Amino acid sequence: MGRPKVAFFDLSCCEGCQLQVANLGEALLDVLGLVDLVEFREVMSESWEGRYDVAFVEGSVVNEESEQRLCEIRQRSNVLVAYGSCATIGGVNGMKNRKLLSDVQSTVYGDKGDWFPVTKTRALHQIVEVDYFIHGCPIHPDEFIKVLKSALAGLPYLVPDYAVCVECKFNENVCMYDKGVTCLGPVTRAGCNSWCVNNGNVCYGCRGMVSNPNQTGAEEVLRSYDLDANLIANKMMMYNAAMEQCDE
Amino acid sequence: MTQALIRKEKLAELVTFLASRQKVVGPVPLSNGQFKFAEVSSLAEMALDYIPTILPPKKYFMPQHETLLKYDVAKGQQMEAVVEVEELTLFGVHTCDLAGIQCLNVVFSDRPKDLHYMIRKNHITLIGLECSDYCDSYANCGMLRNHLPKGGYDLFFSELEDCYMVDISTHKGESLVEESGLFEPVVFEVEKQLQTLRKAKKKIFKSEVPIRYQDIPRLFDETFDSDVWKRLGEKCLSCGNCTNVCPTCYCFDILDEPELDLSKGRRIRVWDSCQHENFAKIAGNESFREERFDRKRHRFNRKFRYPMLRYKRIFCTGCGRCSRTCMAKIDLKETINALMEERG
Repeated sequence: MGRPKVAFFDLSCCEGCQLQVANLGEALLDVLGLVDLVEFREVMSESWEGRYDVAFVEGSVVNEESEQRLCEIRQRSNVLVAYGSCATIGGVNGMKNRKLLSDVQSTVYGDKGDWFPVTKTRALHQIVEVDYFIHGCPIHPDEFIKVLKSALAGLPYLVPDYAVCVECKFNENVCMYDKGVTCLGPVTRAGCNSWCVNNGNVCYGCRGMVSNPNQTGAEEVLRSYDLDANLIANKMMMYNAAMEQCDE
Repeated sequence: MTQALIRKEKLAELVTFLASRQKVVGPVPLSNGQFKFAEVSSLAEMALDYIPTILPPKKYFMPQHETLLKYDVAKGQQMEAVVEVEELTLFGVHTCDLAGIQCLNVVFSDRPKDLHYMIRKNHITLIGLECSDYCDSYANCGMLRNHLPKGGYDLFFSELEDCYMVDISTHKGESLVEESGLFEPVVFEVEKQLQTLRKAKKKIFKSEVPIRYQDIPRLFDETFDSDVWKRLGEKCLSCGNCTNVCPTCYCFDILDEPELDLSKGRRIRVWDSCQHENFAKIAGNESFREERFDRKRHRFNRKFRYPMLRYKRIFCTGCGRCSRTCMAKIDLKETINALMEERG
């Protein structure tokens, strides 16, 4: 049996997560020794007609064309991995879901809006079955490798379902709230090793919310810091708007 | 010699001496009046007048991520035990944190002994530092009598007028005192100053909650079904801050991390938390503590009641970290007060 055939695809996204993979550095050599890379537009021009053992799909579904493309990839793949916020939760593309689609089309394409019909932004799992999720905008290289190993070994990868605060405490960062800054860490699922906060930034919620956030508790916390709950909700919508319809 | 003294002007020299022998970690300032234990090479880098660090020194005894074993599937079930260890001196550890380490010692030396912990512990030299006043209003060391030294160190420093009184508790401590050549014999005047300090502390540190130490476990027994827990459950975000910063929380998960070739790998131990929803989840998706209030109540009982039954000691050190760090402002002293009020 040869090395597993692995392919990378992109739907609507900035392709930054593919760049993360291309930028793995030394680990990329190990990855390439392990798999047979058959399709990866960002780094090679070849394509593949056969079946994919593992397909990594970046980007979200924003029109019928991309929905079809995703379904085809799913049919041709044994394992499908959604990677990057656009693919796992809709990401920033989801912001348009809070507007009228016709307005969105005309904003981007002016009076030619009708030529480019779009649908509401959806994450991959809202359309096809997804076997593994690598959250994040962009994905964290370490987690990509963890998921790749799990996918190749046929083992489950459990995305942490606790708050970013956990890893942030492991890293002994001063809490952003103590610095008077709003941070989405307390309701965002971990797995990024509190990447942004380690580097002086706040958490933007790019990995999506923990599955069972304490909403009333969180609102009380915000009140105690004199923060408007709507402000936080809006911040959360930067990445998570496409998940709203999922909750309905 | 069981006691010695060191002049304040020689303290910097002592830290330099210690750092020349092995890695030294001490309290260093961060922003917003917070601190962490980190590597230092001189006294100037440290802030000895510090409030409890974000993480307690347990991170050196059981690191957040710790390799326990290495495996190679070619060798089948034969695994190689690994202890990642380095010689370390912990400088300026407050009495609450010394008490925390003592709790961990008790747990990890209970059968089956945790050899990783036991080995690492032997490579750590502990130099304690006495507090002369409360660090802030979150601390509750008085009710647990942890404002005073109760052993668990190699050397223990009490700051006096122009010197530190140093209690020498182990051979390791004794040889440091001898080898450094920086210490002097204790004189009567200094002994008197220490007595004065302790007398003053008696007035400062009182039980922060009106309950006697020996009555604490019973309070938690009798309030198991209290509404106080329901109220805490409504507030708690289950972020796990309280357990991560707790000097006596030691629960962990064990994971296998394969290398990319999938044939070799390591088994690692990672801090876990009873506050997480998945912590008490078992096969069939059942959970022993499904609700936030269950988990909150469990944590308090794991500090004040269960360890009393098993280890004859309370596993709260009074450091106040859980209250200090809680996003939802769940306060340990307020909780105990509320339980007492409700019980009547």
